[in-house]
Parts: sequence; C-alpha cells; structure tokens
Amino acid sequence: MLRWLLALVLVPLVPLLQKRIDAQLGAYRAQEEVLYLWSGQHVRRLVPGFEGLAADVYWLRTVQYYGGQRLFARDKKFELLLPLIEITTTLDPRLVIAYKYGATFLCESPPEGAGRCDLGIKVLEKGVAVMPENWRLRQDLGFFHFVFLRDPQRSAEILMEASKLPGAAFWLQNLAAMVLAKGGQRESSRAIWRQIHDQSDGPMKENALQHIEVLDAYDAADALQSLVQTVEQRTGRRPETLDELRSAGLIGRPPVDGSGAPFLYDRQSGTVRVAPQSKLWRPDL
Amino acid sequence: MGAGRLARVWAVAANTFRETVRERVLYNLVFFAIIMTLAGLLMGQLSIRQDEKIIKDIGLASMELFGTLIAIFIGVGLVAKEIERRSLHPLLAKPLGRDEFFLGKFAGLSFTLLVNVLVMAAGLALTLAGTGRRVDPHLLKAIYPIYLGLLLVVALALLFSTLTSSALAAVFTVGMVVAGRFSDVVRNMREVAPGAPAWLVQLLYYALPNFRNFDFKDRVAYGDPVPLAAMGTVTAYAAVYAAVVLLIGMSTFRSRELS
Amino acid sequence: MSAAAAGTTAPALDVRGLTKTYRTGLFRRTGRAALKGLDLTVHPGEILGYLGPNGSGKTTTLKILMGLVFPDSGTATILGAGLRESRWRHRVGYLPEQPYFYDYLSAGEYLDYAGRLFGMTAAARRDRAGHLLELVGLRRSAGVPLRRFSKGMMQRVGIAQALINDPELVILDEPMSGLDPIGRRLVRDIILGLKGQGKTVLFSTHILSDAEALCDRVALLRGGELVRVGDLAGILGTDVSHMEILVAGLGREAVDRLAPALRATHALGERWRLEAGEESLGKIVKGVEEAGGRVLSIQPVRRSLEDYFIKEMGERTEDGWEREG
Repeated sequence: MLRWLLALVLVPLVPLLQKRIDAQLGAYRAQEEVLYLWSGQHVRRLVPGFEGLAADVYWLRTVQYYGGQRLFARDKKFELLLPLIEITTTLDPRLVIAYKYGATFLCESPPEGAGRCDLGIKVLEKGVAVMPENWRLRQDLGFFHFVFLRDPQRSAEILMEASKLPGAAFWLQNLAAMVLAKGGQRESSRAIWRQIHDQSDGPMKENALQHIEVLDAYDAADALQSLVQTVEQRTGRRPETLDELRSAGLIGRPPVDGSGAPFLYDRQSGTVRVAPQSKLWRPDL
Repeated sequence: MGAGRLARVWAVAANTFRETVRERVLYNLVFFAIIMTLAGLLMGQLSIRQDEKIIKDIGLASMELFGTLIAIFIGVGLVAKEIERRSLHPLLAKPLGRDEFFLGKFAGLSFTLLVNVLVMAAGLALTLAGTGRRVDPHLLKAIYPIYLGLLLVVALALLFSTLTSSALAAVFTVGMVVAGRFSDVVRNMREVAPGAPAWLVQLLYYALPNFRNFDFKDRVAYGDPVPLAAMGTVTAYAAVYAAVVLLIGMSTFRSRELS
Repeated sequence: MSAAAAGTTAPALDVRGLTKTYRTGLFRRTGRAALKGLDLTVHPGEILGYLGPNGSGKTTTLKILMGLVFPDSGTATILGAGLRESRWRHRVGYLPEQPYFYDYLSAGEYLDYAGRLFGMTAAARRDRAGHLLELVGLRRSAGVPLRRFSKGMMQRVGIAQALINDPELVILDEPMSGLDPIGRRLVRDIILGLKGQGKTVLFSTHILSDAEALCDRVALLRGGELVRVGDLAGILGTDVSHMEILVAGLGREAVDRLAPALRATHALGERWRLEAGEESLGKIVKGVEEAGGRVLSIQPVRRSLEDYFIKEMGERTEDGWEREG
C-alpha cells in the first residue's frame, strides 16, 4: 500500500521534468543521426514491409527538422532538408506533400529556407516523374519556375502541360497566358501565390500568405504613389507627408503596410516605397 | 534501511552480478571489441574528421545497443525465471524480504551494466587513441546518460518480470523501449494522424519513458554545449521514473504467489 | 536450548482455520479448494509427519507457512510469532519440494549465500557449511557446480541449506524424494539427530514406512481437510492384526484342509506363508505338525499405516503408497 502511494506521489513529477528537459534541450533536437543512411534506397532495404511507416517517421522528422532549424539553429542552412525529403519520397514515392514541402523550403531564401531552388525544382521534377498524371504537382512545378526562378517562358509551358491533365483546374490556361504577358510580374505572382495559399495547409499556407502580404505592400506603395501624383496634379504641390492624404480624405487608414511599418515617402522624387526596415521589404521587388 | 537489510540486498546484488559473470553475459564485450577493431581499421581510408565521428558513433551506439539488450533479456529473467524454476522458494523462506530481493536484483544487474559500459568506454578510448585520434573526454557526457537509460530499462524489465513469464516480459519491455525511443514521433503524431485527440497524444507522450532524453550522442559528437543543468534534469527524470517503476514492481512482487 | 527444555509448552507451530482456494481459469472464476479450515499444532521437540495423497494440500500448507502463498483466511503462529512477521525466520529451516538451486554456484557457494541471508559472519558460514556438507555426505563435492548434481545430491544440498542457520524448527517438504536407500537412511538419521538436539521437525511425505519409523505423531490430510491427528500407536492400535506362519513340507491338500482356519495362504516355492488370526494359532500349528510339515517361523503383524490408509481413507491413490521393503 505504502509503495503504491509513494509511486503515485512521484508520478506527477515525470511530466514536469520532461517539460523541463524539453525546454532546456530544445524540443526539436538535432536529428543528424538519421542521416547515416544518406540514400533512400538504403533505408528502403532496411525496412522491408514497413516502408509506409518509415516514410511517416521520416516525414515527421523532416517537419521537425525544418521547424527546429527555424527556431533553434544558429546558421539556418537546412542542409539535411534535401536528404530527408529524398529518403521520405523514396520510401513513399506518392507522398505528394513531401514533394511540395521539400521544394518550397528548399527554394525559399534564408531565413525561411535553404535558398537552393535548383534542388527544390529537382524534387518537384522527381514527383512529376513518379506521378505524371498529378496535375497539382506539375502546376507547382510551373509556379515555382515563375516565382522563384523568374522564368516565365518555361513556367507557362509547364502550366499548359498541367492544364491538359485530367481533373486540372480550368483557370490554369488563363494563368499560363497571364504569366507570359510582359510586365505582369507582380500580378501573376499574386495570382500564383493565391492559388498556392488556397491549396495548401500548415507552414506552406503561411509561407504563401507571407508572399501575398509582400505583394500587397508593394501594390499599396504603388497606389499611394499614384495618389501622391493625384494630389500634385490637383493642388500643384506634393504633400509633405503621407498623412496628408488621409486628411485629404483620399485614404481611410494610416499609411502603413501590412506589417505595420510606415511607407517610405521621398518628397523630393515623389516616390512611395516599402520601407527597408519593414518585414515586408524585398530586395528584388 | 537497517544494516541487516542492506547487507541482504548487497548479498543478492553480489550474487546477481556473479550470476551474470558466470553465465558469460560479459562476453558481449568480445563482440564489442571486434566491432571497434574493425571500425578502427576500416576507417583508415576516409578523411580525418569524418572517421573520428564515425568511430565515436559506432562506439556509443554499440554501447547503447548491447547494454539495452543485456538490460532487457537478463532483466526479464531476474524474477520470472526464479519463479519458474522455483529457486526463489528456499530463499524467501529465509529472512529475505521480497523488497530486498527485488532491489538486490536491480542493483546487481545495474552493476553488471556499469562494468559493461566502463569497459566499453575504455575500449572506445583505446580505439581512438590506437588509431591516432584524440580521446575526447566530453564523450563521458554522452556515456553517462546512456547508462541512465540502461538503468531505466532494467527497472522496466524487472517490473514486467514480476508480472508475467520471462518470454512475455521480454516482449513488453522491448515494446516499451522501442516506443520510448520514438517518443518524438508520438509527440508529433498529429502531423500524420490529425484525427488523434490532442489530450491522448499528450498523455501518451508523458506516460511513455522518453528514451530520447538520454541521447546526447549527437550533441557531443558535434561539440554542442551540454549544460550541466540539463544533465541534472535528465538524471532527475531517470531517477523519478525508475523509482516509480521499481515501486510498482515491488508492490506487484509482494502480492505474487509462488505456486 | 529448545522450547521443551526451557519448560514452556507453547507450540512450535499453531495453525487455525487455514483456508486456501486456488483460482484458475481466464477470469479466475474456477476454484480448486486446496485447504479447508485446517487446524494443526506441532509441539516443540516432536517429529510430526504430515501425510496425505498428492493434491491433498500438504505442500500448500507449508508454502503458506513460509509466505510463498497467501491464505484466504485463517491464522498461524510460528515459534510464537505471526505469519507476516519476520523474526521467526531466523530460527526456522525450510526445504521445498523438488528444490532447485542456482546451478552456476557450487554447493559450498550456495550454502555460503544462504548463510549471508541470515547475517552469519564469514567464519560462521564457513564452519557451518563445512559441517553440513559433511553431514549430508557431500564434502567431496563442495566445489562442484550444482549444474552437475544428480537429483539425490540436490536433495541433500536442500537439507543442508535448510539447516544452515541451526534452526529450532525444521520444515521439510518430501525430504526423501529422489533419494536412494542410502540417502534415505542418511536423512532419517539426520531427522532423528535433530530430535536428539531438541529441535522440532515437521515433514511431509507419502512414504509411509518413513513416517512409521520416525514420527512421534502423524497428521493425515485428505482433500484439504485434516482427517486424523495423533500418535501412531493411537491411530494404528497396539493390537496385532494377524500372525504370519512360515511352513515347509506341506502339500497342497494339507494346506486346503487347514484353509478354514486361515485368512490367507501364499505359496512360496516349497514353502507356504499362512496368515491367521491370533486365536487360531494353536490349532494351525498342531494341524501342520500332524500333516507332517514343519513350522519355520511365526511373526505377529501389526496393522500398518498403509493398511490404515487404504481402509480409512477408503480409496487407492494413483501413485500408490510406498512401502520400503
């Protein structure tokens, strides 16, 4: 009786200590040991009959690895992302989400991703090769060629291929055309990211939303700039600050971008830009 | 604990250690020596930094693997076999309490494992030194938690040993150890099984013995810092969890009839 | 100093109302009643034989006493202390039935281990182990691993370990099992020796002749119930059951003529063994001599325990009753 009581008293300490350990050592600990088996083929050979389960485990490890790197790693190089994706997709070649996820975070520049879109594209290409009828994978391949590799030609080609696959969304052809139209960089990007956002879950959805917010910010900057020109035409002088646009009733809200950072207004040149300090600023837009 | 009690626990522990020695359990060290020698010889081809890590990894992993196998397969027999063969009967008639017997068995196997781990640690150091690489004292920071994990396995094996036959106890212990190694998978289970209720997943995560807590191999291998406080918490976890398991084991053993 | 010598009459062992049902089956619903309210007393300094067929509950009783099995109800005091207490264990020795000892140890090492559990000093253990191994005739095999011991040798180790602590009360479950006649004689002598030292012995057996030779009292158990307790003379009676007459030189017809006065006749080659009641003895002896035969010997035969069992217990058991020839 005494022993049971003593045990009962000690039991609550276990989760308490576990929580402490998780906090002290980081919930997402390095999983480097996993990578002794660099090749998916090796792993496959070791787990005959349990490939699906192993794929799940590696998939979990991938997600954990990515999350852990983002939160805890000093220099976020995501070196193991590709091997983990490679192993996962070798164990279960039809795990579509692994291809999408891997390509996304391989393509994204640091600190969100590895900044290796050449590898990311290869991942998608592997997926497309394994599942040629899957229009979504091919669609993603097309998307990524546009938003990451900035190759509208190739992007449109792939989107056209995708549009011919059974079950493909009806607007893919239109999207392909929009992509080819010159000067529609931002618009096409937005349309693509919108699609990706709607089709995804979890980190990929958040990632797409971020891109959309960036585009929104730049669109807003352009809109503000044209409003400045409007004021100049009407009154003959440029406004001192953007707040004047508000008092003039031209805008209903404070002139800040989606992240709350104020836009940069250069009165001399009359340009309105996304402030470099803003989280939504991008060097290449 | 009175002096008499301690002396009896010690007697059982010493006899248990003697049993493992005479039953040639420590011969596993021979296999370990072979593996280490091969590793040392074969790694000559690769570049300097890589193979030092690989030797360390092989050494630590073998230490953990062999230790776990011993802890499980000897541990499950500690009580169950004594009941099955009825060697326990004459002993319990003497002034040997059931708790004393139980704890003595735990102490004896723990000591065997300590010897095992220390010899392997020396072997690893020898392999590193013998092949011209540095012997990193930080390895101890990985070895100590491995030993803690082994103690927990022994406790689990002992508990199952009091409940059922040695064969079945082995199955259950292996199951728990494997599940415990995959506790990170359990924790994040909802990524692949979103239908699982969150409270159940949490319960499972905290209830299972989290053997990942004792895995410092990679940290040490990559030279990441190992804060002393963390080592302390891990020790506390091992101590508390093992204590709970042992207490339950003692209780079930006390009510076990030996027919 | 034994309890008897000290002048106390407190029983060495006092069992009251001991009941035990073994639960079997998947949900522990089926029960096999092993003991049904057993009352038993063992007086200090006596040898009590605990007898009964297999499955009658003898071993269950002893296991309950030693704490290996738990009773459903009932109490017991051992050397004045309750069952659950541990102080009596220093003064009691126990030999389980068909014992098994660690086969990776030698006999000497096992006795040393047993001694350690009693808290004996190293010197005391050494002396005692040596003495006991000599006593059971295993001195030369002291260093041999128990793995290589025969069943009989194991049994002797069992006796030795039961006596390692020089106990006042010795409880032996089937101490003669697995022993050859020499071994049995050895154990018999040991048990008598223990009594000579004033110790109390309780042993269970189904070898009736051993019980007859050794026991002051016997307790007969059947189906978990005590059928009879008492000294042998009281149970068997001192009366002579019949006379056995060995004759020679008689032909078949002569024996047939005597038959009405006889209870039984057995032909033994040229001789006959005749059984008759005491009252007919004279008539038969005369009849044999008149027929020209010779009376070789006349033996009174008392009722044996076996006879008692077969008659009183009313059934033949599968394993039969051993009678040492």
